[in-house]
Formats: sequence, structure tokens, C-alpha cells
Amino acid sequence: MVNKSMGRPLRKKLIPVKRSTGDIIFSSLLLLPALIMTITFIIVPIVDSVIKSFQDFRIKNIISGQPGEWNNFANYIKLFQSQKLIGAIIATFSFVLFVVILQFIFGMILALILNSKVLFARFIRSIMMTPWVVPTIISALIWMWMFQPQYGLVKYFVGVFSGGAITDFAMLNNTKTALLGIGIAALWKQIPLTTLLLLAGLQNVPDDMLEAATIDGAGRTRKFFSIVLPYLKSVIKIVISMAIIANFKQFPLIWTMTGGGPDNSTTTLAVLSYREAFISNNLGSGAAVTTIWMLLMVVVIVIYNKLLGTTDID
Amino acid sequence: MKKIIALLLTIVMVFSLAACGKPTPNTKTPSPSPGDATQGAIPTEPVTLKFANYAILETGYEDFWNGVKEDFEKKYENITIEWVTAPYGEIVNQVINMAGGGDKVDILFGEIGWTPVFEDAGLSVPVDTILSEEFLDDFYPAMLEACSINGRPYALPMYVSPFVLYYNKDLFTKAGLDPEKPPKTYDEMLDMAEKLSKLKTADGNKVYAFGQTTASVPISGAALTAMVYNFGGRVLTDDGELDADSKAFKQTFEMIKLLDEKGYNPQNAKLKDLRNLFALGQLAMYYDQSWGYNGASTINPDIKNFTASAPPLAGGDGSGESILQAATLVLMDNGTAQKQALRLLVEYLVSAEVLNDFLAITPAYPARQSMKDLEVITKSEILKGAKDSLDKTMPSAFVPTLNDINLELCTLAQSVTVGGKSVEQGIADFKTAAQALLE
Repeated sequence: MVNKSMGRPLRKKLIPVKRSTGDIIFSSLLLLPALIMTITFIIVPIVDSVIKSFQDFRIKNIISGQPGEWNNFANYIKLFQSQKLIGAIIATFSFVLFVVILQFIFGMILALILNSKVLFARFIRSIMMTPWVVPTIISALIWMWMFQPQYGLVKYFVGVFSGGAITDFAMLNNTKTALLGIGIAALWKQIPLTTLLLLAGLQNVPDDMLEAATIDGAGRTRKFFSIVLPYLKSVIKIVISMAIIANFKQFPLIWTMTGGGPDNSTTTLAVLSYREAFISNNLGSGAAVTTIWMLLMVVVIVIYNKLLGTTDID
Repeated sequence: MKKIIALLLTIVMVFSLAACGKPTPNTKTPSPSPGDATQGAIPTEPVTLKFANYAILETGYEDFWNGVKEDFEKKYENITIEWVTAPYGEIVNQVINMAGGGDKVDILFGEIGWTPVFEDAGLSVPVDTILSEEFLDDFYPAMLEACSINGRPYALPMYVSPFVLYYNKDLFTKAGLDPEKPPKTYDEMLDMAEKLSKLKTADGNKVYAFGQTTASVPISGAALTAMVYNFGGRVLTDDGELDADSKAFKQTFEMIKLLDEKGYNPQNAKLKDLRNLFALGQLAMYYDQSWGYNGASTINPDIKNFTASAPPLAGGDGSGESILQAATLVLMDNGTAQKQALRLLVEYLVSAEVLNDFLAITPAYPARQSMKDLEVITKSEILKGAKDSLDKTMPSAFVPTLNDINLELCTLAQSVTVGGKSVEQGIADFKTAAQALLE
């Protein structure tokens, strides 16, 4: 059969459906792999973990294939009673706040410097990424050696700059400074990516707006707060979200550098979860920590998104 | 046409997910009763034994373990050893994760402290279900008892050691002390430590007088348990109940606090940190498993010229008792043929022929009575001083949460040192945390 108006043969449709319905079916089919992947590897494990947090579930259950025994809120009650959970929540929030705020400030300063046509900007940008490329475990080992209490570089500099007054500086051995020490290592590792993302955002701020502001007599500070920052808003939002999530779930750096010590001062929710699940071999209790941890992270991100708003600059 | 290609690609992606499925689980039924078909039999068909071993990744041990594999496979041509490796800190989880996926190893080279983890998980079987009575009768009963849970040995000690005191003879001489007379009690140690702590290394670094590990790792908790035993105390009763109210327990942590206040003990140090300091001549005495010497000698091979060992110190009303540390073999049941091959491998591994080579590179004591006169032990200059210390080792109770109890002991030691808490408060906090783990 020939379509006279088009002058080419008409193909029969296998199933006669409207064009719009066909498009919906087709796009749904294309979404299927992503949907299956998300359900299989994200939704199912999360639901499974939440269920296990209400069970007495141990390694023997995995080995024998026996389901865990439902114990209501026993895992949660035990965690709250041990006071470890509260300590871990405080340590986690202290760590996240310290690292995210400083990461943004230093990242922004570096991005502004690199955006100001400084000499060797391209070279600096290349080598600046080195800490980000180094695996986290290696970063942790490097900083452990830097903070080493007997022959570490930091101890040496503290000794030199204090004129020999401080000879036993041991950042990771002090309950008051250990988390700060890990925070410094985290900043060293994470600032480069923040800088790079902010720099990319800065380079998209339109020059004509800045020139117009200059003509209108705006100073550098006014231009930064009234033009640059609003244009960077969407980038900043992503950068800080990424930083909050990355530091909320920071585990290898802390586990390698202090193992949660001294005296539990660096036991964050990530460390507590690992200890409950893989040292105590109590997977149910580990899942309970993880559930609380996930809920807290969701709350933080929701509040953060509310605070920063969703409106972008026109 | 584009739509058809896109759909085909989508279908391929969906079906490729099926390829991520786990392998068919090992459905062989375990048979944990003593005296079955493994006794005396040799497998007639080819068998591959999966051997989980962290040590093969460690400097100095690779040649030994590869030699074992080569010689054993030559001796039993139809048995092949397949290594399953992971670093020391990861091997337990590696074996558990594999078993969870249906791929159970046959044997694990591990530590005595890991025994309850595998027993509680239902992975290990009593070694007397695989090994012959005649073979097991040659082991010191106390050593098999130290690896037992509910009266059954769930691990086989390959070689053993208490926490011995290593000391630097050169530093003793420099401090005006007799290098042939190490301290026998904590009081004697404190007197000597006062002199030793005044020393400096050639490049002006501080010399620590006495090292006791307190970092947040389970082995440090085992070392602290041994110290409680030195004072005549216990951490757990034989029934696995908490035993932290004794005078000896308190005295132990008062000693830890005192050592810290006087600056004798490197704060919050791991055993490897202490080995490092000892190798560099910055630590005069420290507690370690006898094989820890190897870690120090890889940093400074010259330590053989100044290292000597001594039995653990006696403190309070104690007589210097200690707990047994052992490198162990944990056995798993993967069916009759595997068990037959496993019996041959274990008998080969814990033989004088093989251990003689191993103990030549690692100072440790054999667990078999017939090996007590091995030349490599009797003539060891490193072990000479501590040779009687095995007589004072005591078994310690196994509970599934032993690793966590050990970590809580580290937290207690840290709380009374770097944390600045009183010993009473530290012990009260420890009891709360440990009790929750034991419930």
C-alpha cells in the first residue's frame, strides 16, 4: 500500500496506540534499567537495612540463611542507653560543621585567586588537584605520619615555633584535638574539588554584568556579594550538599587515623556503625545506627535545601 | 529503527543485571562429629583447599608460605592450595563475606582472639572432627584448652607466646643498669624506668622507658588483658561474666595512668608503633607477642645485637601470669574429601619439618610437646630470657564480643591517660559499656 500524500509505503503498526501513549511507553521502557538498578541496589538494601535494625541479626544468620529474630526497638534502646550514640552524633555534627564551613571558605578564596588571572594559574590548578586524587587511605596514612607524636613533622614545627616550649605535641592522642586533626586531613583532601567546582562557576559569571556594575561605581565587595554570589548560588548549593554528604559518611579517614579513639572522641556515626556491625558482629545493631545516621542526613539536607531556597538568578 | 535499537539496548541492559547474581551456594552438609571418614584417609580425587591467609601479604613471610604450598602440593599431587588473601585487618570480614555468598574457605590462618567470632558465626568446626586423636594428643592440653569453647577446640594453635617483655640491653647499660638483670616486678620496672627515661638517643630524641600498647585495636585490648593477669586479675570469669571489680583490675589501670603521668609510656600507641620506637632505640622495654620481634627487626636488622626478652612482670598480689597468644588454624567443613585433604595439610603445617623453618624466621614457641626441644627454640638468643613465661600463661574466657570487649579496654586505658579521667570513673564507664556487650 502506498500513502499517496507522502509518496512512500505506510508501515503497519504492531499495536495500534496513540502517538502520545506510545511515547510514554517508549520512554518508560528506556527508564527501566535505571529504575531496576535504583530499586535493586539502593531501595531494597535501604529497606532491608531498616528491617534488620529491628532484629537480632548476626553473622550466623547470614551463614545459616536463618532470618533474624524480631526484637522491636531493642537495638535502638541499647544504643541510646550506652551513650555511645549521642557521643557519635555530636562527633559527627562537629566534624561536618567544621569541615564543610572551612572547606567552603578556603575553596572560595582559592577559586577567587585562581580566577583573578594570577600567574601560573593553569599550573596551580593542575597540581592543586593532587590531594583529591590520592586515595583516602593513603591520605590518612600521610597525615598520621605528619601528626606522629615522636617524630612527626607537625610535632617538629610546633617545637620550633614554640621555641622548644612544647615538646610533646600529639594532636591525634588528645581527646580535645583528635577530631580537629582528622578535620585538617579531610580539608586537605576535599578543598581542591570544591575549588575546582567554584572556579567553574566563577568562570560562568557574565562579564557584561560585572562591567556594568563597575561603570555604575560598584566596588569589589559589592560586586562579589550582589553579582558573583547570586550567580554562583546553584553551584554553591551543589558544592555544599556534596561536602555535607561526603563528610557525614566519612569513614576511612577516621578509622585509619584513630579507629574512633582516643576515648571514643572521634567515634562518629560511621565508625560506630562499623564497630557494631563488624567488630561486635551485631549486624542488627549496626543497621540501627545506619538508620539513625541516614535519617539525620536526610533531615540535614532537607533543612539545608529549605534554607538555601530553590530560586535561581534569572 | 532508532526506537527499536534503543529498546534492544534497554533489554540487553536489563538482562545483563542477571549476570550479577551470586554463585550457587555451597550446599555440602557439615558433619561436626568426631572420628569420621577423614581419619587416615587420603583423597582419591583432585581437591582444592581454599586457604585464607593474611601473612602471605606481609614482608618476610611470603617465601615461607609459598614454600609450604609448593612442597605440600609436591607431596600430595592431587591436592592444590588456593590462597585467599586480604590484609590482617580485613581477612576476618573477607572470609565471612565469602561464606555469606556461599563460598566458604577450608582453612584460615589467624589469631586466637578470632576463635569465638568464627564459632559464633557457625563457620568453624571443632578441630577434633577433622584431626586425629593421636595428632591432637601431642599438643599441650593447656594450649588446646585456650582455644576451646564449651570444652571443644575450635582452633588449632600453630605456634604460641605470652606477651613477653622485650628490652634494649644497650640502653640498660647506658643507664647504669645490669643488662642481664631485667625487672621482675612492676616496682622494679619503675625504679629502672626512672633512670632509663633520662636517656636521649644520639640525635637528641626522648627515650621512653616502658611501652604498653593502648591504641584502639583489639590486639591492644588483648595486651591490656595480659597486664591485668600480671596483677593477678581477670577481665572475664571462666563463665564469660565481667570481672572488673577486683583490686588487681584497678591496680592495672592505676599503673597505666602512672606510666602515662611519668611520661614513660608512648601515648595511645599501637604495637607497630612500639616496635618502631624499639627498633630505633627510643624505647627501653615493651610488651609484645614473641613474634612481634620480626616487625621490629624489619625496621632495624641490628636489633638482634641489643634485644633480650624476659617473662611478664608481676604486679600487686599477682605472680606475673599472662594470657596465651597463638597463631591458629581455624578449620571449616566443606565435605569429606575437603576434610581429608585438610587433615593432611594441617598435619604437614604443624610438623617439626615445617615449623623448624618458620620458627627460624619468627621467634615463637611450638604448641606440640614433641617439638619442645627443637634446636631453633632451645638455641634462640631472643627467646632465652622469656623461656619460662609459658608456664604462667592462663586461658582467658571466649565470648562472641571479645574483640569489642578488647576495644573497650583500650578506651578505658585511653580515658585514664589522654582522657584525664580518674581510674574509678574510667572503670565505671568500662563496666557500663562492657556489660551492654555481654548481655
